[in-house]
Amino acid sequence: MLKHDVLIIGAGLAGMRAAVAAKDLGADVALVSKVHPVRSHSNAAQGGINAALGHRGDKWEDHAYDTIKGSDYIADQDAVEIMAKEAGSEVISMEHMGVIFNRDDQGKLGTRAFGGQRKARTFFVADFTGQALLHVLYEQIVKSDVLVYEEWFVLSLIVQDGECSGAVMIDMKSGKIEVCIAKTVILATGGLGRVFEPSTNALICTGDGMALAYRAGVPMMDMEMVQYHPTTLKNNGALMSESARGEGAYLRNIDGERFMAKEGNAPKMMELASRDVVSRSEQKEINEGRGVDGCVLLDCTHLGEKLINEKLPQIRDLAKDFANVDMAKEPVPVRPGMHYQMGGIKTDVNGLTTLPNLYAAGECACVSVHGGNRLGANSLLDTLVFGRRAGEHAAEVSKNRSNPKISSTDVLKKHEEDIEKLLSNNDKNGFVFGSIRKEMGTLMNQYLAVFRDETGMQTALEKLSELKLKYKNIIVPDKGRVFNTALIFTLELGFMLDCAETIAISALERKESRGAHARTDMPDRDDKNWLKHVLVYKENDDAYRVDYLPVVITQWKPEERKY
Amino acid sequence: MKVEYKVKRYNPESDVALESFDTYVVELDQAATVLDGLIKIREEVDNTLTLRCSCRSAICGSCAMRINGQAMLACNTKVSDFEENGNIKLLVEPPGNMPVIKDLVVDFVPFWSKVKSVDPWLKSSHPPKYMEEHIASNESMLHLSGVMGCIMCGACVSDCTVLEVDKSFLGPAALAKAYRFVSDPRDDSTKFRLKALEKPSGMWDCTRCMQCVEVCPKGVDPMGRIMKLRDFAIQDGYKNTYGAKHTAVFTDSVKNTGWLNEFQLPLRTFGIFNVFKLLGLLPILLDALVSRKVPPVFHHKLPSVSSIQRIFKKVDLQITKRE
Amino acid sequence: MKKFAFYPGCVSRGACPELFDSTLTVCERLGIELIHEPLEGASCTGAGVLQEKNQKLGDTLNARTFAMVEKTGLPLLTICSTCQGVMAQANYRLRSDKNYLDEINRDLADENLQYSGSVEPKHLLWVLFEDIGVDYVKSQFTRSLEGFKFAPFYGCYIVRPSDVLALDVNPDRKNSLEQIIEATGAELVDFPGKTACCGFPILLINETNSTKMVGNHTLSAKRKGADAMVTPCPLCHLNLDGYQPSASLLRREKINLPILHLPQLLGLAMGIEPTELKLNRHIVSTKKIISTLSVTP
Repeated sequence: MLKHDVLIIGAGLAGMRAAVAAKDLGADVALVSKVHPVRSHSNAAQGGINAALGHRGDKWEDHAYDTIKGSDYIADQDAVEIMAKEAGSEVISMEHMGVIFNRDDQGKLGTRAFGGQRKARTFFVADFTGQALLHVLYEQIVKSDVLVYEEWFVLSLIVQDGECSGAVMIDMKSGKIEVCIAKTVILATGGLGRVFEPSTNALICTGDGMALAYRAGVPMMDMEMVQYHPTTLKNNGALMSESARGEGAYLRNIDGERFMAKEGNAPKMMELASRDVVSRSEQKEINEGRGVDGCVLLDCTHLGEKLINEKLPQIRDLAKDFANVDMAKEPVPVRPGMHYQMGGIKTDVNGLTTLPNLYAAGECACVSVHGGNRLGANSLLDTLVFGRRAGEHAAEVSKNRSNPKISSTDVLKKHEEDIEKLLSNNDKNGFVFGSIRKEMGTLMNQYLAVFRDETGMQTALEKLSELKLKYKNIIVPDKGRVFNTALIFTLELGFMLDCAETIAISALERKESRGAHARTDMPDRDDKNWLKHVLVYKENDDAYRVDYLPVVITQWKPEERKY
Repeated sequence: MKVEYKVKRYNPESDVALESFDTYVVELDQAATVLDGLIKIREEVDNTLTLRCSCRSAICGSCAMRINGQAMLACNTKVSDFEENGNIKLLVEPPGNMPVIKDLVVDFVPFWSKVKSVDPWLKSSHPPKYMEEHIASNESMLHLSGVMGCIMCGACVSDCTVLEVDKSFLGPAALAKAYRFVSDPRDDSTKFRLKALEKPSGMWDCTRCMQCVEVCPKGVDPMGRIMKLRDFAIQDGYKNTYGAKHTAVFTDSVKNTGWLNEFQLPLRTFGIFNVFKLLGLLPILLDALVSRKVPPVFHHKLPSVSSIQRIFKKVDLQITKRE
Repeated sequence: MKKFAFYPGCVSRGACPELFDSTLTVCERLGIELIHEPLEGASCTGAGVLQEKNQKLGDTLNARTFAMVEKTGLPLLTICSTCQGVMAQANYRLRSDKNYLDEINRDLADENLQYSGSVEPKHLLWVLFEDIGVDYVKSQFTRSLEGFKFAPFYGCYIVRPSDVLALDVNPDRKNSLEQIIEATGAELVDFPGKTACCGFPILLINETNSTKMVGNHTLSAKRKGADAMVTPCPLCHLNLDGYQPSASLLRREKINLPILHLPQLLGLAMGIEPTELKLNRHIVSTKKIISTLSVTP
């Protein structure tokens, strides 16, 4: 049996930031991750991290306002205020830890423009900011000697007497299952992109933490808010960073027209409007026959080779590798692609969920700071600010909690039996993970994409319950214990089906269009009835319950959203 | 198009053959990567095939493996690159120089313990005030983005020719990581770092074979970084290693005569009072004498050595000192 | 006759005189006229060692050599993989950055030299394919080496980095040595170590590792049946030949694998006498090869 004060599940930016913070306060911290920390998907954040530095002529209030407007007014404003206020110190402390950051002429940190914001306040490292931050935070983990359970997969949370008291996890290398008792647990497992096919997300983004919390009775909030990124490659769904548009790239249709200028799109902010707005504008062009082979064109040719090499080197390679296009010479075909889940595990501003001693931070959590649509370069910020806050709070709480008393043998036995049962299913009519996952991904991308309607969403929900039924007869062809990835994928698929269901349920529930949730059958925003969050709770077995929560509004009254 | 994958398998739990190859033929499109095919096999043909992969866009560093004998990322390698007379045949093996756990999955513990051994974090004893960053020019910082582009995939370690004969060698990834701090103007423990890196199994053990440069999928140029470390070490006065002496003697020889004095190179590298090392040279010297292969003892100067010396004088002065 | 400005490199004039001599003999037969005079004052390339200390210094010295070649209007021929690679790398940097080239030309101006970037350093091995024609080379072979098994060993600098050496543009460069071996009638012994490192650069720094490399490559070729190894790199030769006895001790196994220079292989296939090719000037005895040759008709 393993034992820690603070057990952090997931070792991306949020998880590692939480670990560093908790360790600084003297807690016994351990990270557990199904991949080595530097393989985490935080790597993929290309563009940068937002912060309004007060002593440099920017205002945190402006950053907060842009974020809230971007969210289509269902972000909780108290949480956004905290994020905007703490952004500066978080960015600067990353610089102190070793992130190199692009500089300005005075040798101070430089910024670039990003979508949905009236000021250039995005700090960046070329176009691999996420990778730069992730590797530096891992350096800090090594420096402060935080224990990492590398390539361990968490099976479930331990809940006893209405409190979270640890997790049950499997060591992928040996296949051994262990109980880990913890005074506090932080979920930092990232997104659920693989619920959709295609997605910009890595194959590991399977919503594990969300499903773990959901199964433990914690509500999921704003799950209908799924961000489609405006610029993804057709071939494999790879992301072409928003920094391309931040540096001045244009979006064009088949006639070469910059369609963002059209009335109803974003004539003022053009390509740098919020992501939901740009994605809808693109999808309209494509649906109305002005696309190019199901895409629109991202035109960087006027930026010049020097700027591209200096500031966009990685996406130039991506376009070359996966679309066979040199973006310095010709436009790149792109289309909206599933990218980010604004919703997630409902938490307060310290990352605490409704279950005592259980926290969540980063993409798996919903504080909520992104509401109906996240601004580019706010996700890295979210992971750091709320990762740190969760780490600090959990460390403090752990000081005042004695070690939970858990009968680990019973817990272990139950999980051993579950895995054994799963591995021993040899039913000839059984299903394997690949086919169910593909079916789920395709249907989600069909019915819960940029535009939605009642019939489609209803179909999705029905098909999902059919898939859940099939999952009950799943077989794992690999019967071994050592590095059995087929087993892991099967468990992940179970998590993903739960996540998919909460998305469809919430989407059906919201009877208006707001942010990323654009219904063709209800195209208008309805502040009178829907200025509120949708929460989904898991009841026993396959039942669920929906609830609502008012949006916290501090100083910015909802107004019409125009870019 | 049809692509044939011959994949090296290893299952530690199997009581049959420990190591074997399985062949799969899959139908892929023209733009498919090697990873696309492996995922297809894993999902549709053989669920037991085990490999690491995640991002599919060459940033997470999970899928380094040997494809037709050379380490690369499966996710940014196109199958069509291997087309020969209309056929595509791939030999897929786990990366080298690391113990295999299962199929294409290797144990990265030795890899990471070497990275950890170079104190891989910024050491700045006078950090700026709260809310103030280090002031540094773009030029002094952005050259680091080349080496910070390293995704720790292990391709360089897989194909390193020194690691093949000596597992204690720090290796290209850890040394490149060390370079990242040595050349960071904010780091103030350069001397301490260089002193640690000049020890045996460190920077001087690289054999300059360029395998790491060739296989690195991110253009990190690990060997170039190791050469820079050597340069820094010499500049900072860490000259008491065979490696540093070898470089010094070699350079002197070219400077003084225009070309290499092979006879003096070992003598002066080891030092003429290093009896133990020099005795070790005796057998080879005897062999060489027998076959009349001894380089000339009296090394003549090249006719235009003065021109070479003028260049030495000029360019050596221009050495760009590290900040 | 095709004329080349000849860059022999330090080693063929030092510890490997047999390479120098056999090159002259073989080139004459192939109609390659080696002009010695223009590069008699050319410096060492730096061999990658000088570059550790000061890359720009190395680049300037090589630019000096290239400028001397440009004056003659002749192509440049070398017989050393290391010289080939180091010169190609310098040339790559000089050609891809005009400012850098200008800066270096300013230093060369005092020596009355200017380099415009037109030189293409070429190893004899590449010249055979790209300037002489492999069919012509074959036509000069009068003695079949059928029955022999030879393993190739390239030397790092003639195979990496592949972009600097333009291997994709000149695909013959990827398997030139194998093609030549097969052209002589000998059987090719392919083995994975053929493009690996011989260990020479760390010989004086970590002799054990260096010797282990020698042992691995020679034994792996030998186990595949090789009678000899052929290399276009005199530095590889020095290590694989000179340190083979040490490797043998280390591995407690007899090796005795002769290491032939490329021109020696060509010469044998042309029917030239082994003594003229200085096959007797090796550390690992070549007697077995010579005696086999004398009994084959």
